[in-house]
Amino acid sequence: MSVGSSSIRIDAHAKTTGEAQYPGDRAPAHALAARVVFTDQPHARLLRLDVAKAEQMPGVIAVFTGRDVPVNEYGLTEFDQPVFVSIEHTGRTKVESDISRWEADHLALVVADTDEQATAAAAMIEADWAQLPIVADIDQALAPNASLVHPELKLDSNIYHTYKIRKGSIDAAWADAAVIIETTYELPYQEHAYLQPEAAVSYIDEEGRVTLEVAGQWAHEDQEQIAHALDLPVDQVRVIYPAIGGAFGGREDMSLQIVLGLAALRLAERGEHRPIASRWSREESIVGHHKRHRGRIHAKWGADSNGKLVAVQSEAWLDAGAYNYTTNKVLGNCHLGQAGPYEVPNAQIDSHAVYTNSVPGGAFRGFGGPQAAFAAESQMNKLAEALGIDPVEIRLRNAVHDGSIGITQTVMPAGVTMLQVIERCASESQFHQPLTPAEPFSPFASLPPVEGDLLRGRGFACSFKNVGFSFGFPERCEATIVLHGKPDSPTAERGELFHAGADVGQGAHTAFLQMAAEATGLAFENMTGGFSDTSSSGDSGSASASRLTFMSGNSILGAAEAADKAWRNGDRPAVGHFRYVPPPTEALDPETGAGAPNFSYGYVAQTVELTVDRATGHIVVDRVVSTHDVGRAINPANVIGQIEGAVVQAHGYALSERLQVENGRVLNPRFSTYLIPGIGDVPTRIESVVLELADPNGPWGARGMAEMPFMTYAPAVVAALHDATGVWFDSFPLTPDRVTAVLAQAAAPSSSGR
Amino acid sequence: MIPAAFEYVRAGSAEEAIGLIGEHGEDAKFLAGGHSLLPLMKLRLAQPTVLVDIGRVTDLSYIRDGGDHIAIGALTRHMDIENSQLLRADVPLLAHAASHVGDPQVRHRGTIGGSLAHADPASDLPATTLALGATYVAQGPNGTRQIAAGDFYQGFLTSSLEPDEMLTEIRVPKMNGAGWSFQKFNRRAQDWAIVGVAAWRRNGDSGVALVNMGSTPVLASSVSTALAGGASIEDAAQQAAAEADPQADLNASIEYRTHLAKVLVKRALTEASN
Ligand SMILES: Cc1cc2nc3c(=O)[nH]c(=O)nc-3n(C[C@H](O)[C@H](O)[C@H](O)COP(=O)(O)OP(=O)(O)OC[C@H]3O[C@@H](n4cnc5c(N)ncnc54)[C@H](O)[C@@H]3O)c2cc1C
Repeated sequence: MSVGSSSIRIDAHAKTTGEAQYPGDRAPAHALAARVVFTDQPHARLLRLDVAKAEQMPGVIAVFTGRDVPVNEYGLTEFDQPVFVSIEHTGRTKVESDISRWEADHLALVVADTDEQATAAAAMIEADWAQLPIVADIDQALAPNASLVHPELKLDSNIYHTYKIRKGSIDAAWADAAVIIETTYELPYQEHAYLQPEAAVSYIDEEGRVTLEVAGQWAHEDQEQIAHALDLPVDQVRVIYPAIGGAFGGREDMSLQIVLGLAALRLAERGEHRPIASRWSREESIVGHHKRHRGRIHAKWGADSNGKLVAVQSEAWLDAGAYNYTTNKVLGNCHLGQAGPYEVPNAQIDSHAVYTNSVPGGAFRGFGGPQAAFAAESQMNKLAEALGIDPVEIRLRNAVHDGSIGITQTVMPAGVTMLQVIERCASESQFHQPLTPAEPFSPFASLPPVEGDLLRGRGFACSFKNVGFSFGFPERCEATIVLHGKPDSPTAERGELFHAGADVGQGAHTAFLQMAAEATGLAFENMTGGFSDTSSSGDSGSASASRLTFMSGNSILGAAEAADKAWRNGDRPAVGHFRYVPPPTEALDPETGAGAPNFSYGYVAQTVELTVDRATGHIVVDRVVSTHDVGRAINPANVIGQIEGAVVQAHGYALSERLQVENGRVLNPRFSTYLIPGIGDVPTRIESVVLELADPNGPWGARGMAEMPFMTYAPAVVAALHDATGVWFDSFPLTPDRVTAVLAQAAAPSSSGR
Repeated sequence: MIPAAFEYVRAGSAEEAIGLIGEHGEDAKFLAGGHSLLPLMKLRLAQPTVLVDIGRVTDLSYIRDGGDHIAIGALTRHMDIENSQLLRADVPLLAHAASHVGDPQVRHRGTIGGSLAHADPASDLPATTLALGATYVAQGPNGTRQIAAGDFYQGFLTSSLEPDEMLTEIRVPKMNGAGWSFQKFNRRAQDWAIVGVAAWRRNGDSGVALVNMGSTPVLASSVSTALAGGASIEDAAQQAAAEADPQADLNASIEYRTHLAKVLVKRALTEASN
C-alpha cells in the first residue's frame, strides 16, 4: 500500500544535505546578472526616463524598459499592470502604462556582467515624476471625491468588483431574532515570508524557447503570462520549476518571470546567449510581492432563543492594492465564507474589492477564507455568549450537513462532515472538562509566574474551505504515466509519471508518486517522476486552493487506467494520458448570489488554549487541537506537517505579524521588525486530529486540507482571549501593545465592556 | 545587505590593536564578535575602511576574582559570562542577564567589551553593568584609565571612549547576597528587549537600570530614591520612567514602553525583595 503510508519524501535527502537546487542556485558561473529597478513611487506619472548614463556604466550589457516589451501588460486574472512603467506605449495595453500605482512597480531591468555592476548602474537611471494623490487605504479609497487608482476603468469609485447574496427576507427576519450581534472587524495584511526570496534564471533552450527556471505555483499559467507580454506563441515559452522554497499563494503572480524572459529574448536577438540570473533580497521580496488582503467586515447576525441563526447581514471590503492580481477570486471566497459553515435562512451579503495605491492583495493560504472566518466565527462566539449557549452546542445546532442548502441557495456538495468534525474536536480537546493548568514550554518562552497577572482561556472555532477552482472557472488537471517492462510480461517493471503540479515544499511530488504507484500496482520505489516542466507535462492547474492532491490524484488514476489499457494492447512502453475534469461549478448570480460555486469542501474545527499576561499583553498559546476531515490521508506525516505548519503560520497572523504600510510604502520589510514566530513563540502543543471521511469524488476519498488549519486559528485565539479576559478583540494581530490597550479601554469606567 | 569594501587586519594583543587603530585613523574600527558591527555594516549604517580584529586577543578573555569585585576581560564571550561559577556566585545578576542575550549563536560570538563599547541602549549588558555600578577599564596609546559605567554612555551608540581607546576590562562589584532580578520583555523569544530591567536590592540600597528606554541605558535613580525613602514597591515602580526618554519605533510606542517599564520595574523589585 503506497497510499496511506508516510513514505519518506523524495526531496528529503537533497534538502537536508543542501544539494537541492532552488532557482537561486541554478545560475551557472558565467550567467549575467540582472537587477529589477522598482519605481519607488506609490502614485505618480512618469514624465521622463533616461537610462543613457546607466547604459554607459562598466559591465552593463543592456537596460530594458517598457519600450522593449512587445505587450506591456500582465496580470493573472486581468491585464491591469504594466510590465514596466513607461512613457512609450506599444498601443496594445489597456492600462495607462506611464503611471506607477505601487512603490514596487517595475521601471527597468539592468543586465550586467556582475550583480555589483548592475546595482551600480541601476542607481544611474534618471526618472522625473509628477506626483498623483496617493490613495493610501480603504477609507481614503471610499472617501467622496477620492482620486481613482484606475480611471481607465471609467468607474465612479475605487470599488471595482462587488459580489452579492440575497437570500430570504432579511428585513423581516430580524423580528425573529432573540439576540442580534453587530460588529466591525478589521483584518490585517500578512506577508508570505517564504524562505526562498524570488529568484530566476532565463535563457533560450536548445529548441529555441524562452526558458525560465523559477519558483511558481502553476507552470502553465506562468508560461501563458510570459507569452502574452512577449507576444510569443505559448509553445515558444518554457517554464521549469526547480526546488521551490515555499509559496503559500505568494508565487501565484509574476515577479521575475516576464522581465527575465524579455531579457533572454532581446539579448538573443543581439547574439548574447549567456543565461541571465536575478535574485531579490528579503526587502525586495517583501516590498515587491503581494500580501494577504487587509480588509474590513461589518457583520450583523441574529439568532433565536435556541441559538438558531435567523439572519446574517454582512458587508466586506478587501484592499486590492494597486492591481487586481487574484483579488476578484479571493473576494469571492471571502464572500462565501461570511455566513460561516452554517444554515442561514435569510442573508444579505455584499463584498467589495477596492483599489488603493498600497501593495496588491492576492492569494495566501485560505484565499480570503480566513478573513471571512474571523468575522463569522467571532459572531458565532458572541451569539453563544449572549444566549448563554455553549460554543460547541450552538455550532452543532447550526452547522451544515449533507443535504443542507448553502448560502448560495444550492445544495452543498455531498460529503458534508462539519458536524462530525466539530464533535470530534470538542471531545479530543476535552472542551467540556475544566481547563487544566498549562505546562511551561521552554526557558525562553515561558511567561513569568506573576500571580494575578496570568489568565487562562479556551476558545473554539470551525470552518470549511473549498477544494479546487470555484465559480465556473475551467478546472482540470493532466497526468501522463509511462509503463516500462518486458514485451511478454503481464505486469510492468517500472513506471514514470509526468506531471506539472508544483511541489512548493508541501510534499506534492511524493504524494503524486504514492498515488501513481498505488494506481499502477507498482512499488513506490519503482515509480519515478518528471515534474514541473511545461515541455514534458500537460497543464496541472495550480498548487493552490487545497486542490493539488484531489486533482492530481484523479488525473493519475485516469492516466494509470489509460496506461494499463495500452499495456494490455501490447504497447511498450505503454503510455497513458488523462485530463481530469471535476464536477462543474457555476458563477454566482450577480444580484442574488445563487449558484453552485464549488464541487468539494474540507472541514476543520479547532480548540485553542492560551495564557495571557494581562500586564504586558503577552500571549502564550498552550495547546491547539486542530481537527480535520481530510477524506483520506495519502501521506499522514505530510498531512500533519501541513496542519502544524499552517497553525504556526496562522499563529503569526493572529499574534505577531504586523505589516506596517503608510502612504503606499511598506515600513518594515525585514524580519527584525516584521515578526514571524520563532520556535520559542509557536504553540506549546499542537495536536493534529485527522478524520478520514471520504469525499465522493476524491481520489481514494481524499479532500484537500492544506489551507483549512489556517482558517479558524485567529477566531479561536480571540475566543480564548475573551474566555481569559472577558474582552472581545475585533482586530488583530494581538500584539502585546494592542492587548494592553484594549484591556485598559475595556476596564475604563466609560466603556461598554467591549 | 552586503557591506562596503574594507580592509582587514588581525591584532595579537591590545597594544598591537591600539597601534593599528592609531595608524589607520578615523575610519578604522575594532572588530570583536562582530555581532553588532557587521549588521550595521551590512545596512551601510557603518562603513569603516579598516577592521582591526581583536577577536583573537585571548589574554583578554577571563573572569577573575578581584577582591571586592569580579574582573572580566573585554573579549569574554556572553556564553562564558553566563556559565561562570564565579559570576553566578558573586554577580548572579550579570550571569543571568548574559543568558538572555539573543540566542546561543549570538552568545558564543558576542563579547562583553563589544556589547558595552557599542553603547546600544537596547542591549542587555550596558544597563546591567550600569545598575551594578561597574567600572570599565580603557587602554589607549598613553596608558589606561577607569571610567564609571555612569559616565560611559554619552548618547545613542556613543560612549566616552576615544577612537583609539580599547576597552580591556570590566570590574563589577560583588553583590554580597543582594536580591536581584532581570526582567526582559521581548515580542519574540530570543530577540532584543522591547524594554528590560536589571535591578538589585540590599537593605536600603538598590540599583535599577533600564534597557531600551532612551538613547542610552538609563539608571532609574528615582526608583532607588523612592525605595530609600520608604516607598512601597508599587509606588516606587511608578517612578520607573522618570529618568527615561523612550523612543517610538516599529515595535513599540512611547506609551507602551513607559507602561512596560513600570510593570517590569515592579516585577523586578518584587523578585529582588524575595
Ligand atoms: C541576531 C542577534 C541578536 C542579538 N540579540 C541581542 C540581545 O538580545 N541583547 C543584547 O544585548 N545583544 C544582542 N545582540 C548583540 C550582541 O550581544 C553583540 O555581540 C554585542 O552587542 C556586541 O559584541 P561584539 O563582540 O559582537 O562586538 P562587535 O560587533 O565586534 O563590535 C561592536 C562595536 O564595539 C566596538 N568594540 C568591540 N570591542 C571593543 C573593545 N574591546 N574596545 C573598544 N571598542 C570595541 C567595535 O568597534 C564596534 O564599534 C544580538 C546580536 C545579533 C546578531
